Amino acid sequence: MRTAPGVIARLRGWITEPMLVAFAVFGSVPFWINQVGLYPYLGVEVLVFCIFALGFNVLFGHTGLPSFGHGAFFGIGAYAMGLTQFHLAPNLWLGLLAATLVAAAFGAAVACFISHRRGIYFALMTIAFSQLFFFIASKWTSVTGGEDGLINIRRLPADFGIVSFPLRTNPALYWFAFACFAVIVVLLWRLANSPFGRVLQAIKQNEERVAFLGYNVWLYKWLSFVLSCAVTGFAGGIFAMGQGGAFVQVMSLQWSGVVVLMVLIGGGLVSFWGPVIGTVIYFIARDLLGAYTETWLLWFGLMFMLMVMFKPEGAAGLWTELRRRTRAVRARIPAAGFRTGGPVGT
Amino acid sequence: MALLEAHRLHKRFGDRVVLETIDLAFEEGRLSGIIGPNGAGKTTCFHVLTGRYRPDGGRIMLDGRDITGLTPRAIARMGISRSFQLMNLFDDFSALENVALAVPERRRQGFHMLRDARQDSSVADKAAAVLARVGLAGKERELARNLSYGDRRALEICMALAAEPRILFLDEPTSGLGTEATARLADLVRRLKQEVTLVIIEHNMRFLFDLADTVAVIQWGQVIARGTPETLRADKWVKASNFGMLA
Amino acid sequence: MDFLYNLLPHLLNGISLGLLFALVALGFMLIVGVMEVLNLAHGSLFALGAYVALVFILPPGALPFEFLAPYYGLPLAWRFVVAIIVAPLVVGIAGMALELCLRRTYGKDPLYGLLLTFGAALVIEELIRVIWGSAEKPFPLPSGITGGLLIGDLIYSTYRFYASAFAIGVIALVWLFLERTPYGALIKAGAHDSEMVRALGVNLSRLRLIVFAFGTGLAAVAGVTMAPIWGVRPHVGVDAVVPAFIVIVLGGVGSFWGAVLAGLMIGIAVGLTGAYASDWSLISMYLLLIAVVTFRARGLLGKKSILER
Repeated sequence: MRTAPGVIARLRGWITEPMLVAFAVFGSVPFWINQVGLYPYLGVEVLVFCIFALGFNVLFGHTGLPSFGHGAFFGIGAYAMGLTQFHLAPNLWLGLLAATLVAAAFGAAVACFISHRRGIYFALMTIAFSQLFFFIASKWTSVTGGEDGLINIRRLPADFGIVSFPLRTNPALYWFAFACFAVIVVLLWRLANSPFGRVLQAIKQNEERVAFLGYNVWLYKWLSFVLSCAVTGFAGGIFAMGQGGAFVQVMSLQWSGVVVLMVLIGGGLVSFWGPVIGTVIYFIARDLLGAYTETWLLWFGLMFMLMVMFKPEGAAGLWTELRRRTRAVRARIPAAGFRTGGPVGT
Repeated sequence: MALLEAHRLHKRFGDRVVLETIDLAFEEGRLSGIIGPNGAGKTTCFHVLTGRYRPDGGRIMLDGRDITGLTPRAIARMGISRSFQLMNLFDDFSALENVALAVPERRRQGFHMLRDARQDSSVADKAAAVLARVGLAGKERELARNLSYGDRRALEICMALAAEPRILFLDEPTSGLGTEATARLADLVRRLKQEVTLVIIEHNMRFLFDLADTVAVIQWGQVIARGTPETLRADKWVKASNFGMLA
Repeated sequence: MDFLYNLLPHLLNGISLGLLFALVALGFMLIVGVMEVLNLAHGSLFALGAYVALVFILPPGALPFEFLAPYYGLPLAWRFVVAIIVAPLVVGIAGMALELCLRRTYGKDPLYGLLLTFGAALVIEELIRVIWGSAEKPFPLPSGITGGLLIGDLIYSTYRFYASAFAIGVIALVWLFLERTPYGALIKAGAHDSEMVRALGVNLSRLRLIVFAFGTGLAAVAGVTMAPIWGVRPHVGVDAVVPAFIVIVLGGVGSFWGAVLAGLMIGIAVGLTGAYASDWSLISMYLLLIAVVTFRARGLLGKKSILER
């Protein structure tokens, strides 16, 4: 018989306190965004990139594999969304499904070439493939619109059969993006704490040992890559709706690089929430700092370098350390000072 | 026929021949030891037997099946498990999570993406049980990186053990341990002898000769002597080699 | 015969490109060999070289100090010479700064070194964008070396000849440095076996700084020389460094002539691709990289390279 505490215990496996905080914060945004001098579309952008970063981090933070070309899959998702709309059927769900699956398919193909590698070889190959896809997207004008991009992508309504929500206004799109974000967060958190997620984290720490324990490391890395691309493509699909088009610029190495910066600064290497924190920091830098100076990205990059040198655990790592220290001081015992293990969250 | 047999193993790196012809047999239920000076090839032999290196010649048979050249993963799945001298732990995981990863049941569920690993009591119980066997009960929640050296060594062996192997290879298990820890390790190994076939590489001859049923001496890439500890103590080659103190 | 004749200018282009690739690859390889660091920022430093050279060639919009005016009054050829000497020095200093930053990552997971040089690449590129803008800039050449040469009835750019000759000269100088000077010998030894160099008790910090300065300086020389051919854009660095990666993967680390030959081959491949599908000439390098990494990961020597860590 399911008792109330039993149900709550099982629920805690799915939803955590930090998640509720994040949902509360992001859920309240449309109510105060204009008051602080910002605009709802910014919220859409932040959520889209949060999803992108979370997807990227499955590969980077969980599995320890550096992909420096992930923007390519984001772009592929955006194009897939547009192309489905134009050539198949103008349906939101179909478009998003296409964005996810097509990006995942390309990811699967690339992963076949690199799943037995790690480190610099892995990174090099992701750069090479990313440039290849960027090039193809720029040149294949008939399909992608070339340098001008695939324009006139409409925001189709979220149709649930009995009720349909138009997404044409930015606040409406924001709510949709928020719903997507919530679902992705819950699913990825579950993934991080699943047996599969544990194996990925083990592979990050010591790939060889995992193989010696009898696991098919190649397959796990392959799946990690494919999943990561799927989530990234999904984000790209939403982005295409937001922008009203799919543009080749997001597939550039610069963009791919920015995601890496965001995720590390936020603490993706040690925390599930790192990517979200990093995305928020990036947009703060872009919109607040950027209002004062053209050089904000330069500072962001320098901050990244300093983080790598002195605090690769990023913002999330700093936060955890701060909490441990204050808790220890309060309890009057010496601080243990160890990091959280793996992206299991705080 | 022995549980695991190696016939005429040959291994070279570039022009350097590390293993000339190695013939070994490990009987089920016994503790077999391998000793030899540094550079003799015993570590390479170990790596070849556990699948880390592919031999250039010769065959390895497990229960009559040829397993030569199989990947470490395949060999692990057949029930050959090993510990590492340079410890290969998952430092960011707790002791329990380290061991849980080795439990075959966890491996079978490896692709489950939506199940909660933390609530998996079956795997956790098994892991906790193995931890208790090696004397790490109570330290399940400690992060591996925070354990003492001796505990890390024990955890290392624990992981190999948790895989429920048919044959367990231990690579220099006493390395870096003090006398007391070595004695506790000897106790553990004695208990394990009842349950699993063991193969141990060691430098510490006293430790090994106390526990082993049979020992092979590897020097210059060959087995120069083999037998029970008693017969070896009398062997002229072993005496001439003069490595280590015999109790 | 006709067919080969048509290919000739592309082949010559390829050779000149290849010589410059070889220069970049040499600098890259020396750093990898001694430091065991793959400098992802190498390409950005290549680009920086071109931009710094521009500063010494073109007068900036508003002269900050009046005393600089006479300098810009000098003939273009002289300014060009100054640029090609000073730009590598400036970039070499930037390279040393990067090495100092990298010190924090030695001994840690190689991922951190990789991330740091990656970040440096982005920062340098962004710096270029901030100072000089994203638009492509023209690179003025002294009249003596511009123009075209008639070979049979094909026009071939004069500058490329000079660039190739210059590249050969620099490669020769690098060879001399490695073979005939004590530091060169140390670098060679380090590239072959960095453990041994450490064991010799050499002042490793100084060696590292010098290798970085030298390697990045070479990249800058190539950047300046290549600028009139490839154009001066912030993003030109990525394309410049791919051949260097291919060279490392193909030839392993430590073979001087291997790097030169491989650089030449890649240049020729790019040049010839340009004959058939000029759009695809640069992307052919990436395809080559993918192919090479897929099939030839261990390098010709079969040694496990540091790339596998």
